[in-house]
Amino acid sequence: MQTKENDLVMIALFAALVAVLGLLPAIPMPWGIPVTAQSLGVMLAGAVLGAKRGGLSMLLFIGLVALGLPLLAGGRGGLGVFVSPTAGFVVGFPVAAFVTGLVMQNLRIDAMIASGIASLIGGIVVLYVMGIGGFWMLTDKGLMASITIMATYIPGDLVKVVLTAIVVGALVKARPQSLLSRQ
Amino acid sequence: MLALTSDIHTPLHDWRAGVKLGLLSIAIVTLFLLKSPILLAGAAGLTALLYRSFGAKFAAQGLRMLKPLRFFLGFILLWQVVLGDAATGFAIVLRLATAVSLANLVTLSTRLDDLIDLVIWLASPARFIGLSPKPLALSIALVVRFVPVLLERANHMADAFRARSTKRPTFYIILPLIISVLEDADHVALALRARGGLDGAFNP
Amino acid sequence: MIQIQSLSCQYGDKTVLDAITLELTEARVGIVGRNGSGKSTLARAISGLIRPEQGRIFIDGIDVLIDRKSALSAVGILFQNPDHQIIFPTVEEEISFGLRQLGQSKADATAKTSEILGSFGKSDWAKRPVSTLSQGQRHLVCLMSVLAMAPSVIILDEPFSGLDIPTTRALQKRLNQLDQTLMHITHDPSVIADYDRVLWIEGGKIIADGAPEAVLPEYLRVMEADDAGAHL
Repeated sequence: MQTKENDLVMIALFAALVAVLGLLPAIPMPWGIPVTAQSLGVMLAGAVLGAKRGGLSMLLFIGLVALGLPLLAGGRGGLGVFVSPTAGFVVGFPVAAFVTGLVMQNLRIDAMIASGIASLIGGIVVLYVMGIGGFWMLTDKGLMASITIMATYIPGDLVKVVLTAIVVGALVKARPQSLLSRQ
Repeated sequence: MLALTSDIHTPLHDWRAGVKLGLLSIAIVTLFLLKSPILLAGAAGLTALLYRSFGAKFAAQGLRMLKPLRFFLGFILLWQVVLGDAATGFAIVLRLATAVSLANLVTLSTRLDDLIDLVIWLASPARFIGLSPKPLALSIALVVRFVPVLLERANHMADAFRARSTKRPTFYIILPLIISVLEDADHVALALRARGGLDGAFNP
Repeated sequence: MIQIQSLSCQYGDKTVLDAITLELTEARVGIVGRNGSGKSTLARAISGLIRPEQGRIFIDGIDVLIDRKSALSAVGILFQNPDHQIIFPTVEEEISFGLRQLGQSKADATAKTSEILGSFGKSDWAKRPVSTLSQGQRHLVCLMSVLAMAPSVIILDEPFSGLDIPTTRALQKRLNQLDQTLMHITHDPSVIADYDRVLWIEGGKIIADGAPEAVLPEYLRVMEADDAGAHL
């Protein structure tokens, strides 16, 4: 029974989960730069909870970071995060989750593939647009320069899309009713 | 779960959260309007002095919070130097470092509870359009409550995995963690309803 | 007094409780049954937390499903896992939440919470984060939170799972001292051996109802029989 209390608790617990994912050791990658489990968590919030709940969950998450809780990967937090060069990415969390959820809810194909596409659009395209935008605004550097600097992270981040799809695929098999984005 | 508020007591700790945030906003807007590296260096210097005035230990805490930025700032400066415009490079770096430091100063000198109270207070006008700050208050409490619980659970799962494999556990525990959270949500929601749920009289 | 009239609950197309009718006036009631017998569903129904397909439940004349406000002061429930029940990060916030839900002001609730903590000898727990407490201590916080709302009936849904023997005994002692009516759901007969009345649920029906010495020996015999049918 999905009551309003269920929604509230789900949103809060997922925010707590994303915080904890940031506290775990990063996932090692063959090319050296590891992937934080937290970045997966943001996209999973949208893919699993859907646009509205996923977005609210991540909004709660960054709200708590702003309030001074060290919830970002690496134990970062506080208001300083929101004026640093990567502020756009952090502010982009709820937007990325929302868009990921939106695609997931509306792209009614195999859940695993849908989540890959959803996290590509939400977790890469939208998130980077926000991240680059933030960087551009805060550093006063030219737009082209901002894009160039930030875009170098994208190839490494594409693996997040694959990992998200894998987790969603496994989740659907283990517990089909989990995908609130598909109910 | 510890917030980033500093244990070292400064006069700022006694100021009201709303006042500090207001001043911070003004400071940040000013910083972004200043273009001259000289003026920005002055601002940075004043900020450093401010931190130092609260003691060396406090200043060290502030410096530690800047650590994650060093690569970015260094890279930006280098980029500008290569482009032949070192002045702009310094301006950007000084501006950002100062802004982040001032923002962190508010974080270091303000208790979590006071900030939560401020947020709830800011959200209360929404009562007039039918939105209650109650779900917000409850969800903040739930996150702070559950982070230690989930962290412990994650560690248990990591141990269980390590007992059966030499691979690194992080990726492999994501799925079971999500499932446990989805199942927990039902139980916690039930317990919340058992004490009146969102319809109860509780008002933050 | 607890009145259960023709209570039926379904889960999908499975009947979990089948037309249960009971009138309970005893102070200590035990409910035994194997996993899946319907005991937890019964607990939730009596607390007014689930909507039955059929039937009504009254505690002291209050319809627990319809009159939720009054039900909050009539019945409280203690679940198995404290980490599924404790919502707030500190002990004081957790205990006073129930009081504030009943309409008390923050100041009143905090005062009453101090009172409750004091009566349990745990005044120093007020500001403690729940995460620093042991499992048994968390169970105690849950109990205090339920007691704060001063219900006349407390339902205990297997509250001792996972606790060691000394902690179980200590909590049992606390529970036995309570004035409230206790409905204790368990699959371990020893904790209800001296209760006033025991109900044995199987397959959604009450198959035995009487004094512990009348119900429990047969219950144990059946549960421990070789063909008892474990759910493996």
